[in-house]
Amino acid sequence: MSALTASGSQQPEAALRRRRPATRRGAGPGPARAGAHVLMIACLLYFLVPLAWLFLSATKTNSQLFSSFGLWFGHGFHLGSNITALFRYQGGIFWRWLVNTFIYSAVSAVAGSLLSAAGGYAFARYRFRGRSLLFGVVLGTIMVPSTVLVIPTYLLFSKAGLTDTPFAVILPTLVNPFGLYLMRVYAEQSVPAELLDSARMDGAGEFRIFRRIAFRLMTPGFVTVLLFAFVATWNNYFLPLVMLSTPSYYPVTVGLANMNAQASAGGGAQLLVTVVIAGALIAIVPLIVAFLFLQRYWRGGLAVGSLR
Amino acid sequence: MNILTMTRQAATARSRAPLRRDGGRSHPRRAARRAKAAPYLFLAPFLCVFAAFIVAPLGYALYLSLLRTELIGGQVFVGIANYTQAIRDSAFYAGLGRVALFFVIQVPAMLVLAIVFALILDSGTLRLRRLFRLGFFVPYAVPSVVGALIWGYLYGRQFGPIDQLTSALGLHQPDLLSSGIMLPSLANVVTWEYTGYNMIIIFAALQAVPAELRDAAAVDGAGPVRFALRVKVPLVRPAIVLTTIFSIIGSLQLFTEPQIMFSIAPSVIGNNYTPNLYAYNLSFTNQQYEYSAAISFLLGAVIFAGSYLFMWRVNRRARSAS
Amino acid sequence: MPRQTWRMWALALAGAALTAGAAACGGSAAPAHSGPVTVTFWTWVPHLGKEVALFEKTHPGIKVNVVDPGQGAVAYQKLQTAIKAGKGAPDAAQIEYQMLPTFEVTHGLVNLAKYGAGKLRSAFVPSAWDQVVSQGGIWGIPQDTGPMGVLYRKDIFQRYKLSVPTTWAQFAADAAKLHRANPGITMTDLAPNDPGQLNGLFWQAGSRPFRMQGGTSIAVSVNDPGATRAAAYWQKLDQQGQISTDPDFTPQWYSSMAKGRYATWITAAWGPLFLSGAAKSSAGEWRAAPLPQWTAGQDVSADWGGSTTAVTTQSKHPQQAAEFAMWLNSNPQAVRMLAAPPLFLFPSLKSALGTASFHNSAPSFYGGQHVNALFSQIAQTVPAGFEWSPFQAYVYSQYTSTIGKAMTGKGSWVGALAAAQQSITGYAKSQGLTVTGG
Repeated sequence: MSALTASGSQQPEAALRRRRPATRRGAGPGPARAGAHVLMIACLLYFLVPLAWLFLSATKTNSQLFSSFGLWFGHGFHLGSNITALFRYQGGIFWRWLVNTFIYSAVSAVAGSLLSAAGGYAFARYRFRGRSLLFGVVLGTIMVPSTVLVIPTYLLFSKAGLTDTPFAVILPTLVNPFGLYLMRVYAEQSVPAELLDSARMDGAGEFRIFRRIAFRLMTPGFVTVLLFAFVATWNNYFLPLVMLSTPSYYPVTVGLANMNAQASAGGGAQLLVTVVIAGALIAIVPLIVAFLFLQRYWRGGLAVGSLR
Repeated sequence: MNILTMTRQAATARSRAPLRRDGGRSHPRRAARRAKAAPYLFLAPFLCVFAAFIVAPLGYALYLSLLRTELIGGQVFVGIANYTQAIRDSAFYAGLGRVALFFVIQVPAMLVLAIVFALILDSGTLRLRRLFRLGFFVPYAVPSVVGALIWGYLYGRQFGPIDQLTSALGLHQPDLLSSGIMLPSLANVVTWEYTGYNMIIIFAALQAVPAELRDAAAVDGAGPVRFALRVKVPLVRPAIVLTTIFSIIGSLQLFTEPQIMFSIAPSVIGNNYTPNLYAYNLSFTNQQYEYSAAISFLLGAVIFAGSYLFMWRVNRRARSAS
Repeated sequence: MPRQTWRMWALALAGAALTAGAAACGGSAAPAHSGPVTVTFWTWVPHLGKEVALFEKTHPGIKVNVVDPGQGAVAYQKLQTAIKAGKGAPDAAQIEYQMLPTFEVTHGLVNLAKYGAGKLRSAFVPSAWDQVVSQGGIWGIPQDTGPMGVLYRKDIFQRYKLSVPTTWAQFAADAAKLHRANPGITMTDLAPNDPGQLNGLFWQAGSRPFRMQGGTSIAVSVNDPGATRAAAYWQKLDQQGQISTDPDFTPQWYSSMAKGRYATWITAAWGPLFLSGAAKSSAGEWRAAPLPQWTAGQDVSADWGGSTTAVTTQSKHPQQAAEFAMWLNSNPQAVRMLAAPPLFLFPSLKSALGTASFHNSAPSFYGGQHVNALFSQIAQTVPAGFEWSPFQAYVYSQYTSTIGKAMTGKGSWVGALAAAQQSITGYAKSQGLTVTGG
């Protein structure tokens, strides 16, 4: 019974860390090191400058945006007033978009990843009829173009009266074939069959074994799948664009795109470009924060997934 | 016995020992029956949503692709007429050619960059590795809508920083949104968004390579670059294959970036810049859902064929190497 | 420990589901009970609160739920898909003139003649009313219109000694003169992404590309003499580099407008106020004038833009929706509010065009010129009898991909127009319509 009580959730991560080589500090001749540093710093600038531009532009007024140097501040610091204008836009609907995005992402990531975990575990640790065929079919659908799915889904949903509801955005994102694939590979590597067998010999039921042993061992991989699903839903644009027409249901991507269209159209007779830019800035902050705090999971789970 | 040792044993034993399902001490038969039903129960929730939100829409789309709706006269069954029209549609091929070119140029460039970054990060020669790792990965957190929007501004003439810098140096920036340069401009946006993501996958795989394996390979005293190319890269081949497959799928399905660029370069993008964009416009602008479904299925077939061709080559080479 | 983790997940899931449920309930308007009827209205015109409040006060049995489905094309896609799906369309919707036949032919719209819209006929500018009537029905109530005129930079005209053109020949001469004097400034910008502008110019030149005949037959002549004449004219200016072909309403375009890189903007009645917000730094330099003419002494304009309010066949309360549509666009008080800040819609209601307050506004952006009065006059010179196709979204996308391409590539506009004619004819046939030559 010791296996059942042992806390196992960190073990694969620990195993991973153990296998990491001692870094060969100082390896390579000096010029090569300097060259590597120059290359990496230049590339770092390439990746970060667009984000710096986003921040700098969010501190400008509309006219400054088009008249000042793009990679430095304009006159004065207008980030505060842009953000105020953003949260005042249409009675503070931007809050609503942020909350919606969070709910859609959280629900679909948690529920979808649980489905993937259970399914991946089944593929990894059981032999059953139609196993490889089923797995092949599921994995094959990764290649289906998004347009081929979204439009018929819309037509089917509208027959069921589901369009223009939060369910229209959440339900289709529950299916995560790549998540299932990752969970299968992860389960194969982190859940030893012998452990399950000995638990069975101890008389534990299949569901209990999954819940109390397998799932715990699979947790790092599960979190990775969860994070990817969360980011995917957070950044999703096409599906909510097609499904939703009531602005109070919009996620932030569709809301911003809509606002951007309005910013450049005749109707309101006012330009909102820097307000939209401030919105874009705010929309990416939560994900960047999540990246910073959950770094190890981006590697932990992925390493296993890609070793196959 | 703790789990860590078990995990290691399992890893070696796994390939030899198939699952034992005969072992219940108390009620062997009932346990076996339960174990038999278990995988289906675990799979049921996933398969339910899979059936509802992938299989059903696909089936419906397949059905639609055999019909045609006319403004006058409504929906009629036309058999494979949509497909025969699609394989003769030059607008479809133009888009397909573009994404194929995109694939041939952008994907190798991005993956080579990702591999180089991952190798440098892994080599330990770098200071502040965490900063670089995160900095490279951060664009992945930016929704592609926002990413394309940002680059659209950066590319702009007069107010765009690129133009401002080049004209300060007395150079003249070519129009980055003109028809000749649009594809590289889009490739740059996609490279910006996904290089870090691919780098992380390869880096994670590098970090997971068992130390003994690397040390064994290291004894022959090769230089760090040779060591990286000859030893490390082959070790993480599966990760590279994975990122390549994703890039095949991603580039052939290119949609959001050109769609956002349409608003600032409409006549360059047009309605068929990529097959996915074409399918979208067929559905929503032209109201030709059925024809659009046929185009999408053809695109799916191309992606499928491309991915399998790639996998087949990879496997063949792996076999001949061993 | 494991049990607790599991329970935590279950709790998290339940919580998430609850909040999602709350979002589902909180967002939508309360469904109408037996009391007042709720009419859902899709429009991307913002700030309609005051108008709706007034309507609900004077019509106690009707509540209006205003929903913004997105701008133009996005809204149409949603509406079209909803109509195709047979579910999900609002009661009333904002639809621009050019899109009315598209929704009419798929039986998406209610004939408002049934609800007494016919009596409003004489209240509206004829060219506007003409566009909502077809096949013996009234398919929308005109809201605003876009009679076309020219906004020009007085300072640029003075600096380069240009005279305000009254004919297109003079416009071309000005363009050539300006190009010689300063190649950095072009006479105007024609937008390859904005078929509405191009269509207006063709319309003014006498083009009448579509004529529906009896509901199943259509005459298509996209490259008729009028359109060809205009295309040939602009092609020449384009190939000589005397005009710009930048997409409009983009950062690039805004920047060029504010910095005086275009000497004129060929626009419509909604343009003056829009520009005063978009190019603040150039205040005081702009003036307005009617469109140059093909024949000296004539007085012909065209429409670019403008919307109607229509009622969908999916509405469960078509009568109330029709009442709202008629009230919003013909009640003097409502129309006055629509025409005032912050909306500034250019009315299609004759009585609103005639009010003194509307005429007398003299914004300093135009150096005190009475621009509204000018455009009110222009509104009377838009020739009636222009018909839109029942697949106008396709037509416009073809304009962009053929003529738009020729514009930016300095290719043959006339050839592109012929190509558009061919693809549009093919599309019309594929839609089951009988196509007769133009």
